[in-house]
Amino acid sequence: MLLKYGMPALAVVAVSLSLLSVQRMTPKVVQAQPPLPPPTAAYANQVGAVGLVEAASENIAVSLPVPGLVTRVAVKAGDAVRKGQLLFSLDDRDLRAELALRETTVALSRSKLGKLEASPRPEEIPPAQFRVDEAKALREDAKVQLRLIEAVKDSRAIKQEDLLRRRRAVESAEARLEQATANLQLLKAGTWKPDLEVARAELRQAEAQVARIQADLSRLQVTAPIDGQILQCKVRPGEFAQSGTLAQPLILMGRVDQLHIRADIDEKDAWRFHPGAKATGQVRGNASIRYPLEFVRVEPYVVPKRNLTGDSTERVDTRVLQVLFKLPAQTSLYPGQQMDLSIEAKKEGR
Amino acid sequence: MKFIAWQMLTGDKAKYLGLIFAIAFSTFLMSHQVSIFCGLMSRTASQIDDVKDAQIWVMDSKTQYVDEVKALTDQDLYRVRGVEGVEWAVPLFKGTSRAKGPDGKFRGVILMGLDDSTMVGLPRTVVLGDTRALSDPETIAIDQVGYKFFFPNEPVTLGRTIDLNDHTVRIVAVVASSAPFVNLPVFYTRYSQAIQFVGRERNQMSFVLAKPTPDISPVKLTQQIREATGLKALTSNDFGWETIWYYIKNTGIPINFGITVVIALIVGTVVAGQTFYLFTIENLKQFGALKAIGVTDLRIVGMILMQAVIVGAIGYGLGISMTAAFFEATKDNLDLRGFRLLPQIMQGTALAVFMIVFLASAVSVRRVIVLEPAVVFRG
Repeated sequence: MLLKYGMPALAVVAVSLSLLSVQRMTPKVVQAQPPLPPPTAAYANQVGAVGLVEAASENIAVSLPVPGLVTRVAVKAGDAVRKGQLLFSLDDRDLRAELALRETTVALSRSKLGKLEASPRPEEIPPAQFRVDEAKALREDAKVQLRLIEAVKDSRAIKQEDLLRRRRAVESAEARLEQATANLQLLKAGTWKPDLEVARAELRQAEAQVARIQADLSRLQVTAPIDGQILQCKVRPGEFAQSGTLAQPLILMGRVDQLHIRADIDEKDAWRFHPGAKATGQVRGNASIRYPLEFVRVEPYVVPKRNLTGDSTERVDTRVLQVLFKLPAQTSLYPGQQMDLSIEAKKEGR
Repeated sequence: MKFIAWQMLTGDKAKYLGLIFAIAFSTFLMSHQVSIFCGLMSRTASQIDDVKDAQIWVMDSKTQYVDEVKALTDQDLYRVRGVEGVEWAVPLFKGTSRAKGPDGKFRGVILMGLDDSTMVGLPRTVVLGDTRALSDPETIAIDQVGYKFFFPNEPVTLGRTIDLNDHTVRIVAVVASSAPFVNLPVFYTRYSQAIQFVGRERNQMSFVLAKPTPDISPVKLTQQIREATGLKALTSNDFGWETIWYYIKNTGIPINFGITVVIALIVGTVVAGQTFYLFTIENLKQFGALKAIGVTDLRIVGMILMQAVIVGAIGYGLGISMTAAFFEATKDNLDLRGFRLLPQIMQGTALAVFMIVFLASAVSVRRVIVLEPAVVFRG
């Protein structure tokens, strides 16, 4: 009896329990929400892109004209700088020494010229004058001696020889006077003009050399090219700074009162983009922060995609169209930050 | 008449029980083996099923299944985002790496890199710790089975470190994830961390996970993504099935299980059929008597069928409950996680069992129909 009716009863109970168990063990299919809200589509028809926040002036990687050893860094990251303000200076000891040398050359040339310009020396005039006066007196004396002998009527009373000698003495005295007068005049005339010109040219040359050294010195002082903020300062005293384009800029600066965002649009999606399109940017990490973006311009040349991980060895064979958008004035963004963009796409096409 | 049939059936207790247990064990064998097979096969799609927040997977157009991927370019993510009907799309890294425990024991691990800012794909069942701590550098969440492998017989604690491809990573959370097919430990980390751990490759993004907007069906969106980007897009369900089919086609597992199931079917049919046949033969006298008093053949067929259905139902009920009990008993065993009795298997086995009993009764019915009522009185 028990077996007869027990078996069906057992079967019923067993099946019910099995159904219960199966139902309990069947996992509930639930559509979970992402732990953090992802950036969502902002327009029905849109182009997705990644954007990099940058300064409105674009980010300027400050370079220097000559490589050299850094001796002083006058700014730090975050500083606001005016155009022309010193950023950092390079070692200038050799040029300073050279400058000192060149400056002495200028001084020397200048004093040489001064000396030439100052001649005749006033003290030299009186002796020359005296020599003229003396020559005059000697000439007068010789003339007197000649007259005395010529006054003798009787030629026998005098030696013909004496007469001749005295005549020659007068001539000689005349010549000496002329010489003394000429000497005096030469002295009074001062320096010869061409000599002065030479000296002046020498001075100018020396001065030009000083100016060149000063220009070289000023090139060792790296200054801010625009008003802006220092975004990155990767230069420290004691380091050797290379000139030219560097993978890691020495100083990165830009005008940050207005931020732009550079969107990379895949070349395959470029046809869907139209200049002037509306766009929305969503901040990574908090997709609920959305900024409306204003179209600025398209960079018309489609460039190979630069990987935003910043690793230059990575090669990606995609090319991207870069489009610049303007961010609102007040944002919680920093230059260099990435954003997910939704750009409204053309209606036509697909 | 029904009462007579019932009395005939239960009259001989040994045969009654014999019939029931033949069917019960055949049911158990079939449903159990098919369940294990389904459980094993569904493990191949574990990593797909574990992503509960995205419905669409986008991958390279030639991808065959989830474990072998060709990475997409980073830009493909933005192309998917540009497809109409995509509410959101995030990257996913799925790869393998080798991890070494503190005692030097190493193992290949499945490394899942989840989008840094949204963590889409994160398992929701956290055993210990806080998955938000994954935002710290060099951190991972590990599945509990992986934890047991690296730190056997130790209580689950946080902050332990594992060497992952020359990176020392800290465990900040222990999570429950579905068992992978090859039963490797599963590590969850951020996308950017994952690509650092595995080292440099040209492209790293394995998949793009997307969610359709409310006004479009996932299947329709997969078509749109395919058309717009040329990439392959599948719903989680389709991708899971594609992966399962890949394994079914390319491994010996289905043959192996198929043989077992077929044997269960044959043994069940033969044993139940034979027992039932013998039971009918032994009752031929009674059937003959019934025939003699004018019971129609149809009535007798009805009686035999009724007996068959009763035996089948009881046997099935006992057999299927054995299978259910097995999975109920093993549900907390981590190595058998994911194995369960599917409702479809319950239905399918029921169908198979009733096929068996009908087949068995059909053979018996023939003997009763051709029976001459006079035979009864001759002996």
